[in-house]
Amino acid sequence: MSAALEAGASPRRVAWRRAVYRFGQSRLSLVGLALSGLVLAMALFGGLLAPYPEHVAGGIATGARFAPPSLAHPFGTNELGQDVLSLVLAGARVSVLAGLAVVLLGALVGTALGAIAGYAGGWTDEILMRLADLKLTVPGLILAMAVAAALGPGLLNMVVAIALSWWPGFARLVRGEVLARREEPYIVAARAVGVGRVRILLRHLLPNVLTPVIVKVSLDVGFAILAVASLGFIGIGVKPPTPEWGSLLAIARSYMPDFWWMAIFPGLAIFVAVLGFNLLGDGLRDLLDPRTRR
Amino acid sequence: MLGFVLRRIALTIPVLLGLTVLVFAIARLLPGDPVALAAGPNATPAEIEAYAREFGLDRPIPVQYWTYLTGLLSGDMGVSIFTRRPVAEDIAAYLPATLELVLAAMLLAVGLGLPAGLAAAVWRDRWPDTVSRVLALGAISMPRFFLGLLLQLGLAMALGWLPLGGRFPITEDPPPLVTGLLTLDALLAGDLRALGLALQHLLLPAVALSLSPLATIMRMMRASTLEVLSRDYVLTERALGLPEWQIIGKYVARNAVSATLTVIGLYFGWLLGGTVLVETVFDWPGLGLYATKSVVTQDFMPVIGVTLVIGTLFVAINLVVDILYGVVDPRVRVT
Amino acid sequence: MRIDAAQGLSRRGLMLATGGAVLAAGVPGRAHAQAGRKVLIIASNQDIPNFDPHVATGYSASFLLRNTYDSLVRVRGNPPTPVPALASSWSSSADGRSFEFKLDPAARFHSGKPVTAEDVVYSFRRALRLNRGNAWMIQGVVGPDSVRAVDPGTVSFALLKPFAAFLQVLPWIWIVEKAQVEVNLGGDDGQGWLRSNLAASGPFRVRRAEAGNLYELERVERPWQAGGGDVSHVIWRITRETAAQRLMLQRGEAHIAVDLTSEDMDALKDRPGVVRIIEPEYRTFSIKMNTRHGPLADPELRKAVSYAFNYKAMLDAAGYADLMVGPLPHGILGHDPNLEVYRTDLARAKEHLARSKHPNGGLKLTMVHVSGLEQQRRWALVLLDSLKPLGFELDIKPMIWPDMVAACRSPETFPDFFPVYQTANYGDPDNIAFAAYHSSRNGNWQNAVYANPAVDALIEQGRGEQDEARRIAIYRDFQKAVVADAPDIFGVLERRKLALRDNVRGFVFTPVASNAIEAFALSLA
Repeated sequence: MSAALEAGASPRRVAWRRAVYRFGQSRLSLVGLALSGLVLAMALFGGLLAPYPEHVAGGIATGARFAPPSLAHPFGTNELGQDVLSLVLAGARVSVLAGLAVVLLGALVGTALGAIAGYAGGWTDEILMRLADLKLTVPGLILAMAVAAALGPGLLNMVVAIALSWWPGFARLVRGEVLARREEPYIVAARAVGVGRVRILLRHLLPNVLTPVIVKVSLDVGFAILAVASLGFIGIGVKPPTPEWGSLLAIARSYMPDFWWMAIFPGLAIFVAVLGFNLLGDGLRDLLDPRTRR
Repeated sequence: MLGFVLRRIALTIPVLLGLTVLVFAIARLLPGDPVALAAGPNATPAEIEAYAREFGLDRPIPVQYWTYLTGLLSGDMGVSIFTRRPVAEDIAAYLPATLELVLAAMLLAVGLGLPAGLAAAVWRDRWPDTVSRVLALGAISMPRFFLGLLLQLGLAMALGWLPLGGRFPITEDPPPLVTGLLTLDALLAGDLRALGLALQHLLLPAVALSLSPLATIMRMMRASTLEVLSRDYVLTERALGLPEWQIIGKYVARNAVSATLTVIGLYFGWLLGGTVLVETVFDWPGLGLYATKSVVTQDFMPVIGVTLVIGTLFVAINLVVDILYGVVDPRVRVT
Repeated sequence: MRIDAAQGLSRRGLMLATGGAVLAAGVPGRAHAQAGRKVLIIASNQDIPNFDPHVATGYSASFLLRNTYDSLVRVRGNPPTPVPALASSWSSSADGRSFEFKLDPAARFHSGKPVTAEDVVYSFRRALRLNRGNAWMIQGVVGPDSVRAVDPGTVSFALLKPFAAFLQVLPWIWIVEKAQVEVNLGGDDGQGWLRSNLAASGPFRVRRAEAGNLYELERVERPWQAGGGDVSHVIWRITRETAAQRLMLQRGEAHIAVDLTSEDMDALKDRPGVVRIIEPEYRTFSIKMNTRHGPLADPELRKAVSYAFNYKAMLDAAGYADLMVGPLPHGILGHDPNLEVYRTDLARAKEHLARSKHPNGGLKLTMVHVSGLEQQRRWALVLLDSLKPLGFELDIKPMIWPDMVAACRSPETFPDFFPVYQTANYGDPDNIAFAAYHSSRNGNWQNAVYANPAVDALIEQGRGEQDEARRIAIYRDFQKAVVADAPDIFGVLERRKLALRDNVRGFVFTPVASNAIEAFALSLA
């Protein structure tokens, strides 16, 4: 690292720049950044980029069914003559945003409950943590399936079903951090001068546990996208005509040997999205979490 | 030792009780009309009422929970709305297939993951390491169902080398039922042909299921090998001129046993969840396929039953791993 | 009948063929052939959850029942005609109200006991009492006291009212062995026992039942029925994906595939060893509208929708199919091929829209469909696209079939659009007319809401009339009256698509429930 970089900068900024430099040195992290940026852009603007926006809204063209990939339809067309590229681009919206929503919802609920458990201790802690433990006895996908079966299909129900098995991870993490910090001198001092419990929790404790939470969010997004696609593949997903990667793949299964393009491209989209966020998450963890630095 | 085992077993009781509470809460407390669902759609309002009375669904929730719990103790998991078959019977029929698939995937993951991880560590930063790293990254991000479809598309559909799905050729009579695991039953019967057929069917789903844990085991093995290799005694042995392969065989292999034990415990639950998608793709007649079919038809009791059984299995496996740990490492017994 | 046995060997076919040869050791069928058994494998995507002949419905159950149970008469041929089964002969009165059946003295249940008139009486009463399964076909026509055992070998029927298609529905009322059911009665009229056990006299019995996977039948040692083919075992293999069914057929791992799509049929063209059967069948598909509740209670709006619908796209998506002309299927007695029906015409759609209560659109309508039924999903998307020019949105809800049936209970719970496949169990216009348009069926899925007294009167006339020319005239009037009300978007008649290996011998196509394969007459070369 050059001396010029460090000259005249505050220690905090230096650390930041170092981290960014390190991130930039890691080729895989950069690939992750690029891929997840691409996927996020698809999620936000995919519908606008779609060459056949009418197909995204459910329009059909039964005269051009099952066309193999060509210039007009780079990913081919499906059983109703819809442009697969358009559907994949637009499908990013549900798949990625639902994945983000799951993790953010899980993070929000988990952080709140974890902080309360860690700070309050006693029975509150005991009950909340036993509740979180229960999640560990049932694989997330099975639990999500059970909840989705009870709630019925639909995007919101799907997000809730997955988030229900996501919060305990965050709760444990935050509780651990809060427990580790609640006896630190500045907290003890704050308590001594009569600062209220809620205020201590919100102003002093939470900001300090935010970093690991952010790292976990970034690490989890890829897996959440995978979970959303999995439920979509099983058939508990969005309602038609909304395109979603998992359900596109499920439909394509019936047509697989002849019309492979209907399956390959949505599948690749899931793979690329998950890979991108996983790489980005790994990179961010190395960047933000001091414990993993080597 | 016995005290330790008993204590461990006692500790799982509240966990299992909690599991029943969780399952019951999903069944009864979420919006949706369990009575109408359970009575079936052709039921008239009068029939629904009669059903509610018969199954005690008109009574207070705690009473209902008690009834449900006592029902479970006598092996009653309710009845499927669709088939009207007892859920417990169905689960008993499907469980062996799932166990066989999960065990096969675990075997693949451990059997390939450990040597690959070892190789990656020994040739650190050389090509085996790089290749294993890239593969691991891909494997973890690969949706199992997509991988399954690709394997099917290539090896079963285009090349025709392996069966598309299922557990055994349908025109053949499976080996006599002993364990329910076809490969094992074939071995027990000494029927090598049946074993071959069962393995042909098992291969693709097991590969699709094993990839992700394989990658993780490989990376963990690499890390622990590197750690051992950097320890003082290894350096000493090396300085003493002991051949490299002996060092690795002597120290790393032992280290791997305890690491693997943890990993199996951790991943068993994961595989039980992951098998759902793989079974769906390969028409593997196990719990996962049963659960997905039931979810799609909103047939509720089977889904709840599968959740409960898989949860219980997972708790049981953790218990076994814990106890084995106690055997391997006596220090654990204190806690 | 259109059958084309493929001769050419395409490059892909060759590839698959050699791939198959490599794996010959692993290809099933070998062991059975060696053991001298002839196993016929049928690939289907439907499970057979219930064997109770008076409860189970659906074509998969029909397959099982057709092969393991007997009825008084069976149907054969194209057009389907009643032929002797348990009854070796029968006679009827001129007014069409009394029938007398002579039972075949050779008829034996699997238990070895002879089939008697008592068993027949018991079976009809049980079917009516349970009022499930196929009971609707004789409900209101056969009363509990209508069936009488004259002597052990003779059964007489005194119908409550004349019913032109009586002989056509009899193949669907199965005869159980009274003594067997009585000892296993339980608290539910034997339903618990018959769910997974047979009390039957048919040529096959169940050998293996693996729910969700396969059902294997084996021919009974000495079936009482004369003749038949050499197939000794039949496996009903549950294969969810139609593409997988097709591959099994191509690889010789299945002999008959019954759920193929039009795309599969195209891919099978020119495949060696494969015989395709693409035949019209009396199976209608239409989208019912809620004529009693909600915006579509307005006939102008229904007409607007009927004109806006993209029939061409529906036909494209259906593949091997014909557009329906009115409510009755082509070729059935009384069908009018020149009937004036709705075809896509946006100008006229907008005229009707302007006269409706919602001239500017702006509504969100609801359509349900059976989750997992690919064709219905496609058509829902066609409807969604068709409604856009009228300014309507469509909310598509995949539902499980039982929930859809439940939604039919009242006009308030019935959705705006409800897709219905109506498979004719008997080749008479009464089947579709009565089940799908008579108001007494309101609350049932075939006709949840539509009610028009004039139409009811025509259906009843047609049912009771014995003279064919007069029946034709009545059904012509019926079709005009129904089209004028526009209760349905009259959709398509999908051709029946079956594919067989060319070594299956003795197969005769019959256009009623033809996917519930009858194995008795089949042989394997």
